[in-house]
Amino acid sequence: MSDTITTRTYSADAKSRDVRPRESERDETQQDETQVCPECSGHLVTDEEHGETICEDCGLVVEDTVVDRGPEWRAFDSAERDSKSRVGAPTTKMMHDKGLSTNIGWQNKDAYGKSLSPRQREQMQRLRTWNERFRTRDSKERNLKQALGEIDRMASALGLPENVRETASVIYRRALNDDLLPGRSIEGVATSALYASARMAGTPRSLDELEKVSRVDKMELTRTYRYIVRELKLEIKPADPEQYVPRFASELGLSDEAERQARQLLRDAKETGIHSGKSPVGLAAAAVYAAALLTNEKVTQSEVSTVADISEVTIRNRYKELLEVQDGTLLA
Amino acid sequence: MSGPADSIEIQNVVASTGIGQELDLEALADDLPGADFNPDNFPGLVYRTQDPKAAALIFRSGKIVCTGAKSIDDVHDALGIIFDKLRELKIPVDDEPEITVQNIVSSADLGHNLNLNALAIGLGLEDVEYEPEQFPGLVYRMDEPKVVILLFGSGKIVITGGKRTDDAETAVEEIVERIDALGLLG
Repeated sequence: MSDTITTRTYSADAKSRDVRPRESERDETQQDETQVCPECSGHLVTDEEHGETICEDCGLVVEDTVVDRGPEWRAFDSAERDSKSRVGAPTTKMMHDKGLSTNIGWQNKDAYGKSLSPRQREQMQRLRTWNERFRTRDSKERNLKQALGEIDRMASALGLPENVRETASVIYRRALNDDLLPGRSIEGVATSALYASARMAGTPRSLDELEKVSRVDKMELTRTYRYIVRELKLEIKPADPEQYVPRFASELGLSDEAERQARQLLRDAKETGIHSGKSPVGLAAAAVYAAALLTNEKVTQSEVSTVADISEVTIRNRYKELLEVQDGTLLA
Repeated sequence: MSGPADSIEIQNVVASTGIGQELDLEALADDLPGADFNPDNFPGLVYRTQDPKAAALIFRSGKIVCTGAKSIDDVHDALGIIFDKLRELKIPVDDEPEITVQNIVSSADLGHNLNLNALAIGLGLEDVEYEPEQFPGLVYRMDEPKVVILLFGSGKIVITGGKRTDDAETAVEEIVERIDALGLLG
């Protein structure tokens, strides 16, 4: 009995202690916003229910019919939520105007869903043309539009998620604002921005993969990439070979056991430092191959080679080194 | 003490000079035995000296770039030979054309394997360029002396961009100190 009582009083105490600091915080924020009555310098409070700001001391109504920025009350289904929503889609860096402008729909239909008359149809076509011209007024905006389209296209082809596209778009915008574009191609900078952002997000794609979906060659890509990274001070860490393992393993249809083994091989290799100066893609490919052999799963070097875009010779060389490390750690 | 600084070897010295006289390279290519002139590939005439081993690129404007020499003295010797050859062909050459060293490339060995990944983060990612997918070495741009150092996993390094012979030495001492401070040497 006594136990329950003590716990109860304790929890009540905790509650009141929780509440108090919050109240004092609220008071402070109100005072910070210079909420002082113009008549008697009294303390002002906001009455959200009536949409008024009134003085606590003399009762003067300082402001009435305040705009309610909250969401529309009571939406029961998704259609209602849509019709009551006062906001559009969130802004995104992936569109050259951050998605804030209006688009004229491509369907030639009016608000009731009826088809437009040929005359109106012609008019809408004309409006669309002008809207498009108006949306991209100067060369920088046209440049951005093309580049962001390109980033989106390549990211889709490489299966990169939204956040990577967003980062790539931000990197590209920074490059454009810092005037790094003159003398470099839009495609080149867009590809490097995507490569950099994929690395930053921990889902790296190899240069060969990017080269396949990009319209620029590897030479230009690497040159632009190094330039962008240096000028924008992006501080990108060297890619970790482990980050390539899951993708290669799943493309080869290997078991979790093999994948785990591959990661372990790479971790051992990193401890002994034999990965210094070696291509992370090559190391990952060799680790996946070695792990498959160690777990008795059948893959050939040429299969790994196609999946990882690494030559069989590289796989053989790296694989030997990885196994030497493995033997070393087992003996030690 | 025998340290990495003792292993420094100069690999290449590049210097430029000019004779203050425009040249007809077509005619010069015919008159100078052993000269390569291929205007389709390269606008300059290439003349190689055997002792000291060096190559001089002679341009139409009369400017000459000497490359491939192993020391500053060798550069002066090689250019001296070329000036004499030109004088033999009755081409007026200033008595003592000014020779400016543009670049010295040296190599050295730190004697330990390096963990480049750790080093890239330790030295500060903004001064470092390490892209193992593109190039196995780590590129470190040093401000003082203003040189570029390439560090490799084997511990061998290349110092380039210096204009004086002791630049390489100071750079090696500096980099060894920095790597040692990070506890990454050996």
